[in-house]
Amino acid sequence: MKKTDKMLFRMISNSKGQFAAVVTIITAGIAVFIALSMSAVNMDNTVKDYYSSCNFADLYVIAENVPAQKIKELEAISGIGLAEGRIVLEAPVITENPKERVNVKLISSKSERDRINKCFLLEGRWLEEGGKEAMALGQFADARGISPGSKIKVQASGINYSIDITGVTANPEFVYLMESEQALMTDPERFGVLYISEALGRQMSGINGANEILIKYTDAADEDAIIKSLEKQLKSYGLKQIVKKEDQMSCAVVQDEVDQINRMSSSVPFVFIFSAALVLIMMLGRMVKRDRIKIGILKAIGYRNRDIISHYAKYAAAAGAAGGCLGAAVGIASAGGMTRVFLEYFNIPMLRTEFSISAVFAIVAGSCLFCIAAGAFGSRGVVKISPADSMKSEPPKTGKRILLEKAPVIWRRFSFSQKLVVKNIFRNKKRAGFVLMGISLTYAMMLFTTSMPGAIDDMMNTHYLEFQKMDYIVSFRAPVNQSAVSDIRHVIDVKHMEGKLEYPFEFENGTRKQVVSIIGLPGNTEFYTFRSVSGDIINLSKTGMFIPETLAGNLNLGVGDTVKLNTFIPGKNSAHIEVKGIVKQTLGMNAFMDIGYMGEKLMEKNAVNGVYFNSGDDKIYEKLSGVPQVASVMSIEETRDSFVEYMSVMNAAIAFLIVFSGILGFCIVYNATSIIIGEREMEFSALRVLGLSGNEIFKMILNENNLLMAAGIALGIPVGMSLLSSMSAAVSTDMYRFDMAASPGAVAGAALFTAVFVYFAQLATYQKIRKLDLLAALKNRMN
Amino acid sequence: MEIMRAEGLTKTYLMGEVEVNALRGASFSIEEGEFAVILGPSGSGKSTLLNIMGGMDTPTSGRVITEGEDITGFSEKKLTGYRRSKVGFVFQFYNLMANLTAEENVELATEISKDPMEIAEILKAVGLYERRGHFPSQLSGGEQQRVSIARAIAKNPKVLLCDEPTGALDFSTGISILELLRKVNREMGKTVVVITHNADIALMADRVIRMKSGQIIDNKTNENPVSPDEIKW
Repeated sequence: MKKTDKMLFRMISNSKGQFAAVVTIITAGIAVFIALSMSAVNMDNTVKDYYSSCNFADLYVIAENVPAQKIKELEAISGIGLAEGRIVLEAPVITENPKERVNVKLISSKSERDRINKCFLLEGRWLEEGGKEAMALGQFADARGISPGSKIKVQASGINYSIDITGVTANPEFVYLMESEQALMTDPERFGVLYISEALGRQMSGINGANEILIKYTDAADEDAIIKSLEKQLKSYGLKQIVKKEDQMSCAVVQDEVDQINRMSSSVPFVFIFSAALVLIMMLGRMVKRDRIKIGILKAIGYRNRDIISHYAKYAAAAGAAGGCLGAAVGIASAGGMTRVFLEYFNIPMLRTEFSISAVFAIVAGSCLFCIAAGAFGSRGVVKISPADSMKSEPPKTGKRILLEKAPVIWRRFSFSQKLVVKNIFRNKKRAGFVLMGISLTYAMMLFTTSMPGAIDDMMNTHYLEFQKMDYIVSFRAPVNQSAVSDIRHVIDVKHMEGKLEYPFEFENGTRKQVVSIIGLPGNTEFYTFRSVSGDIINLSKTGMFIPETLAGNLNLGVGDTVKLNTFIPGKNSAHIEVKGIVKQTLGMNAFMDIGYMGEKLMEKNAVNGVYFNSGDDKIYEKLSGVPQVASVMSIEETRDSFVEYMSVMNAAIAFLIVFSGILGFCIVYNATSIIIGEREMEFSALRVLGLSGNEIFKMILNENNLLMAAGIALGIPVGMSLLSSMSAAVSTDMYRFDMAASPGAVAGAALFTAVFVYFAQLATYQKIRKLDLLAALKNRMN
Repeated sequence: MEIMRAEGLTKTYLMGEVEVNALRGASFSIEEGEFAVILGPSGSGKSTLLNIMGGMDTPTSGRVITEGEDITGFSEKKLTGYRRSKVGFVFQFYNLMANLTAEENVELATEISKDPMEIAEILKAVGLYERRGHFPSQLSGGEQQRVSIARAIAKNPKVLLCDEPTGALDFSTGISILELLRKVNREMGKTVVVITHNADIALMADRVIRMKSGQIIDNKTNENPVSPDEIKW
């Protein structure tokens, strides 16, 4: 082994704490990166495998009633491999608790003979033709304690059906179970899916053909051409909507989740890696300064600059390799568990974990290279050291007054020890800058973490207390005349009620397209408060529409632009509507129009297909279950509760992030303080010789760091704000939009957590002060 | 045969905000195989002179010729090569690598040399073979200086440049180091240049160069050099 390498190992061994601190930061960054990116890959692979094994549909066609023969004919369209019809209807479940609202989606199935969206039987048996039987979707069965042998009562077309459960199943169509886009969250206790035989489906719905067709493409399929053909061929069968695989509700949510994890994996870990690089640059820079004589000797002996730089870069490489390997190990170990945590919210009966040794190797190699670069950059000062000069004692630095001293009014107020602390900080600006940067980075991470709960609360409050204020949303089976609103009013006690018209349309702006539900509301609606992007309250205009800022971004639309709306309503043509306002919507994504204008332009005049109302009536579900046109009733309070429950899992993520941010702060401050002690050993020893105790010297460093911590936190606030804004964009999806802002509580909380970790780091360096060998330090030129 | 010649060396540098004229036109020459002592009080410029001779520093003006080559015109790369093969250094404060053993400190030099000496042989020559596994902190000052000398000669250079090699040692240890340097000079045939402020050491030199305020004030050969054990201070 080369002697310089031996020196390297002993150098590492002599500064174990500092080395371990850098390795820890790299480990954290690599572990988070690998765990998150592997989770995303695992999830993506698992979902794709699941979709493939169950032959997940490429296209969903919703119509009124398509005969079986016509469906068979669709397979002749170029690009369509399989077309399979089914009957889908929604029905309320009759439970023992009249206050409880439970809805199910009943889907006809050929049992194990389904060719598309095949069920994955988890327990029990398949359906037998002719019986009043059903297979229940796993999430729903788990939430309601349903198992093979259970009975479930549902009401369809005014008739009560008692159905036997034969099995529990999973299905790729309901990986994420959601009643509707408005529901936003999964709530398997109140909404489920039952697979029934085709005969029972026909009996319950009165449909003799199919009202939904699942399409599977051949390998070379032109989706747009297929959709055009389907529109043409199914026009006379009451074609309502064609949904692409990527727009299918569950598929879109899962993809959003995978994308979000990917985004997180490419942002959070880099804070750690960037910090590690900073620490290495700072550490090696200081090491080179400290080892000035040693470097001089090596040069005097005949070592070249590149030999010496490579000696220091190897230190960084060793940290990169150790951190990379440890991080990879921790990341790989956590990835499986993390994938399971993510999948807990999705009903996938299989898990495919993949371990890519080449990817891990590339990450570790990348970590080493990054560290080597940081090390070489940090030790670039080697070049400047002349062997002759290194033997001379360093000339005293040019003394000058610090800026604060030029303000005698302030300066005079400082005690001598305070002045000493301030001067020490200003004496080495680079060193102070490093600590300052470390603390501000830690604080920024902490601020992001402490702001998350508040951001979730804000999102909920903004949506449910400011943006929309109804207690219940009732959806009708089909659009009816506005007079139906009065009918509902007669059934229940309401404080206020408004009719609504809600229907999905495809928004088209150039090449950009997106399917979004438009909600028609009375112009003077009391249930919605619209705020423009600048925060001003704006009233719904008589013409045109409001769109949320996420949709405006997706489609590149601005106020005054006209957007083409492609309709799924049979017999209706596309319409062009002007964007009259861009509004804030934190949860969900809808466009909003005056109900009269919407009916006239897009649907039927005076039509409504639901109502919003506020009510103190506690028998809402019971009373509305008897109203024939009511398809579903949704309580906003229940939706909100399930959202809060879902978001509570974020607490674990928050605790995880606090620990990781703390590790970052701890390592940076520990390293910086260790460097300070190492560099000022002579000075501290001299102070000890003068009679200062170890505690007094420690207090002096503590005071310096306290001042830097205060400044670091102050600097960290704007850094944290920028992080919040970039992370808001990273974690926002089409489903919800985070607008993370730092509340005073979050600012104070982040400061407290930062202080705790900074103090821990300083306590860890106390031993170094205590162990100072004052005489040796004063005698020796070299360490 | 002349091994090293300095011609009109000047060196001016800044020490903080003060301009220091360390050398003011120093000229001399040293013959191969000589034991030369450069004598002068503190601040006379002798360390600066040694650094320039060793290719560790460059003069403001003047030349240093070794084996017919002017090293003052050397690039950094050539200077490194010069230090690597032609000269060895011994410092007042030993300047050993604290985290390498005595033997490893010597190996540090042999590793980069094209024509190194046997490490064991050198360690035996300096009387430290038995303590080769000790770290500098486990060695006395004299022993550390022996390691430093061993490290300097391990590369098998022609010239050994010693900066106050006894400056940090007590009398008897200092004498033993001088004996070792004498041995290196006489038995190994190395040219040894010692800079010191101790006039008594000059008694053992073949050549004595006296310096004052950055200038050579005297340069003469000593016809009767004494043995180190005859020196007293």
